[in-house]
Formats: sequence, structure tokens, C-alpha cells
Amino acid sequence: MRRPQKACPFCETRVHFVDYKDDRTLGRFITDHGKILPSRLSGTCSRHQRQLATAIKRARYLAIIPYTRGLQP
Amino acid sequence: MTRKYEAVYVFDSTLEDAAITDKLGRFHGLLGNPGDLEVNHWGRRQLAYPIGRRESGYYAVAKFTIDATTLPEYERAIKLDEGVVRHLITLYENELGAPPMSEEELAAANRRRDQDDDEDEE
Repeated sequence: MRRPQKACPFCETRVHFVDYKDDRTLGRFITDHGKILPSRLSGTCSRHQRQLATAIKRARYLAIIPYTRGLQP
Repeated sequence: MTRKYEAVYVFDSTLEDAAITDKLGRFHGLLGNPGDLEVNHWGRRQLAYPIGRRESGYYAVAKFTIDATTLPEYERAIKLDEGVVRHLITLYENELGAPPMSEEELAAANRRRDQDDDEDEE
């Protein structure tokens, strides 16, 4: 049986656009290694998940959030 | 056609504030000093990963409305400038996309979702 769907955290707070400059919000949607958290785990709706993925990629380029972390060579 | 853009610059943090303001002035001069220009200085902050040997950068965010034809020259100047470590020019998103959902629409979306869940349980 499928688990009931979680509410999208962005829809709940009426976020219209996911901001790529907001490192604290983006930080909630990346794993300890810096990967993008799947919507299956975060409950993000597909529209916001797409925006989030773009925002995270932009923020990575600008060195606002890391590409990887917690993986020491 | 004019559109609203947002540019983020990451300057080398060893540059002096005056030099950075100077460079910003030069870049925005190439845009013809748009009337609604809005510059927000974040100042020096730690980079999430080292870029070359740099550990920190000076961030500045600018918003402006210009005609797209003036962009290439402006971007070329930024690319040639060695004091700029990274830059990103994006359409200012608030002008794009669907309007935010109203109360009723949100309630309807929630109802639909609940119904979907119920169907799965059967």
C-alpha cells in the first residue's frame, strides 16, 4: 500500500519561485553528500521539484552550495 | 523587447571595495545605466568549494530591465574581466510562469490529492 502523499513544502508556504540565492532553503533539499533530494522523500510537487533542481544547479555554479560534500578523497 | 534580468557576480575577494564598485559601474554603464537598476551587495562570503586558490568571494546581485540586444556586449565585458570569478545572468523569474495559486485552487488541489490517496487504498 502506498503511503499518503506529503504536502509540498513550497506550496504550503506559497512560494511562487524557488530562489537559487537562498542557501538555507536549498540546503534542506540536498543530501549529506550534496545530491538533490528526490521528491519521493521531500514531498515536493513536480512543478516545484523542477524549479528546485534548476535552482540547486544554479546555486552550485555560483559556489553558494557545494557540488559534493562529506566525501573526502 | 525589454525584460527584467538578474545578474549575480562573484568577484575576487582580494579586490578592494572601491575597485568592485568601479567595475560594477563600468558593467552597468554598458547597459546604458537602466533606470530601475537595483544593486544588492552581499559582501564577502565563504565559497562552498574552492575556485582555483580562492576560498572566499565578494557577491553582488543586480536587477535591471533592458533590451536583450545590449546583453552580449555586457556579458563579453564580464567574461574578459579577470576580477570576476563567476557570474550568472538570468531572467528575473517573478515575471515568468503561472500566477500563484489562490486559496480555492490550493484547496481544490488538496482535495484532488486526498481523493487520489483514497483510491489507492481500495
